[in-house]
Amino acid sequence: MPWRRFRKKVERSIDVSKSIEESLEDAANGEEQEDLTELAELDAANITEAATGEPDDDRAPSELGTRLRDALETEEQHGGLPSERPPARRTSRSHEGPSEGDPRAATAARYPEFGVDLNVQAARGLRLKNPVMTASGTFGQGVEYAELIDVSRLGAIVNKGTTPNPRPGNPQYRIAETPSGILNSIGLENPGAVEVARRYGKAWAELGVPVIVNVAGYSVEDYVYVVHEMTGTPGVVAYELNVSCPNVKGGMLFGCDPDLAADVTRAVKAETDLPVIVKLTPNAPDVVAVARACEEAGADGLTAINTVLGMRIDTKRRRPMLGTGSGGLSGPAIRPIAVHITYQIAQAVSIPVIGAGGVTSAQDALEFLMAGASSVQVGTATFADPLAPLKLAERQGRVHLRRDGERPSANRMKGSDHLALDLPGIGERTGQAVARGVDETLHMTERLRSGRSLRWSSFAGQ
Amino acid sequence: MILAQGRVIDSTEIGRLGTVLQISAPEIAEQARAGQFVHVRPGSSFEPLLRRPYSFNRIDRGAGEIELIVKPLGAGGEWIAARRAGDPLDLLGPLGTAFVVHRSTRNLLLVAGGTGIAPMRVLAEQESARRSVTLLMGGRSVAHLWPSDLLPATVEYITTTEDGSFGIAGRVTDAIGPLLEWADQLCACGPWPMLAALGRLRDLADAASSAYTGRRPLLDAQIAVEQHMGCAMGVCRACVVVTAQGNARVCREGPVFALGDIAFEQGEPATVGILA
Repeated sequence: MPWRRFRKKVERSIDVSKSIEESLEDAANGEEQEDLTELAELDAANITEAATGEPDDDRAPSELGTRLRDALETEEQHGGLPSERPPARRTSRSHEGPSEGDPRAATAARYPEFGVDLNVQAARGLRLKNPVMTASGTFGQGVEYAELIDVSRLGAIVNKGTTPNPRPGNPQYRIAETPSGILNSIGLENPGAVEVARRYGKAWAELGVPVIVNVAGYSVEDYVYVVHEMTGTPGVVAYELNVSCPNVKGGMLFGCDPDLAADVTRAVKAETDLPVIVKLTPNAPDVVAVARACEEAGADGLTAINTVLGMRIDTKRRRPMLGTGSGGLSGPAIRPIAVHITYQIAQAVSIPVIGAGGVTSAQDALEFLMAGASSVQVGTATFADPLAPLKLAERQGRVHLRRDGERPSANRMKGSDHLALDLPGIGERTGQAVARGVDETLHMTERLRSGRSLRWSSFAGQ
Repeated sequence: MILAQGRVIDSTEIGRLGTVLQISAPEIAEQARAGQFVHVRPGSSFEPLLRRPYSFNRIDRGAGEIELIVKPLGAGGEWIAARRAGDPLDLLGPLGTAFVVHRSTRNLLLVAGGTGIAPMRVLAEQESARRSVTLLMGGRSVAHLWPSDLLPATVEYITTTEDGSFGIAGRVTDAIGPLLEWADQLCACGPWPMLAALGRLRDLADAASSAYTGRRPLLDAQIAVEQHMGCAMGVCRACVVVTAQGNARVCREGPVFALGDIAFEQGEPATVGILA
């Protein structure tokens, strides 16, 4: 930042009641906020500033800067990241946030998460309160992790692949660890569409988070049947067609052939009024052609990507590690593949793309957003860190704030507020600064967290 | 179940059984019960990625401490086994079901194989004051046995080794016969072949039960099983075993099951045979 303002040294009095670490953290927190504000100002730099690299003193403070200050003040008064706040007493603070007489009410209402409006269009006709979803197969039916974290803070959850009939799944072993990832071969174990709707409908209505039903099958009729059975289930806001499961025979068939993918998309679109998202497989010979075919057939969004085919061999037993021989690779190991395919597809279609594959942090999510995705799914990372999706949802607020647009990636088709890769100068610099900022935020929060445990109740009731 | 930051207090190598980590984690110790497990994150990055499940080997509510037996298997196991006093550990737990000792039980028989000693030691410590407890442990050699001085003095401790280096030569099933007539209740934890052998004994006892009306600890025996695990939250369905009621997740419906509920196949857990 060539024209960064010199920061006035702030004298911070030493509070003897605090430990040195705490004082340092407080000081660092203050600086972080100043950095944030400065970044926002930088994002909104006018042409004179950009040209000279000097601040233009005549310029009025940017709207974003003002908003950011408001937001940070709100955040401060609420006491840090939502997950770090002490559990709120339900009696003293309602779910609706500040009361009407409170001057902060307006800000909080406008920017529910972090004081920022994070809502995105995840698919045509599907607007979510934030761009963080959980990936199918890594979040069960949503009720399991709800015992540990507040799932209502997520943009949406995607349930485990649902088939027309109950499926017992594949033989053991079903999971194996790989460098920076896992191989799985579960085999779409699920109780079947009718049972899923019956068992989880009520719970979904009470989870407080939209549910996207992941639909799997062997024929066009299978997909239509599942969607038909799930119709009217409370909480369901969209369908994600799993045309890409590598672990069942024929599961990947639909995702590999553009015509078949289009057929199944068309048939499901005819069955439901809800948005239909197609989850693509990286194992297709021409994934861009499949993406285009789905768009033409009426898909409202695309998820890129499902797992990558892989295999591990137990050299001692001279046998594959998985019961089925090969399986699907997920986790950070496949992130570069996922980002590349997201990038390719985003160029080829005009419907929103959901990035998925090895997202572990807000910075990873940013990669997908810059590649052209409008939202992301967190999958395997949840197994290692059950808080990963929440951390992302919270930090995404900061990431988005530092961008120059009103609503960054949500309406990326509109061009002006696309989180651009190719903008020279300020855009690029901001990207770097954002990435660094996220790192710092992560680091700081880790430090704050260390030394005390997180109970599920920390998340409840907010 | 909570996500907590524990701190290693001490680590001790127990022969070739594994490393015992003594961890301060008051919130987890508060809730933990014998048979339940804790899912430990190997590091703070995503390499290695998966958490590792370890059954509680000691639960000290008063001191807010737990102990785990960690075998250095794989990169994650090695990382966790290498933790030393003062190191933090990311813990998720307690998870799963626990052993239930009936109030009417006077003679409790515990059967352990290898690191399966972990929950058996917790039961021994908890129950030895209330009823008479016999612990039968089997290992490959004397180095794979749990040291008797780390057990309550009132527990009868019988050991078997496969190489005959200590105690009775053979396996636990070779020594269990007389104990079955003594015991009111049986709890077991160990490798699958051991559990499968107990399963076979149970089937025999079941067939003979109409003729023999004495104590039948095998019939309602409880076992803790292990399986390759992913999330431990019940979502990924990687750790399922086949039970009388269909597929059951070891992390949720288990790890403690009724011996009679588990299906075995040639000394291994029966598996879903469908490759559709």
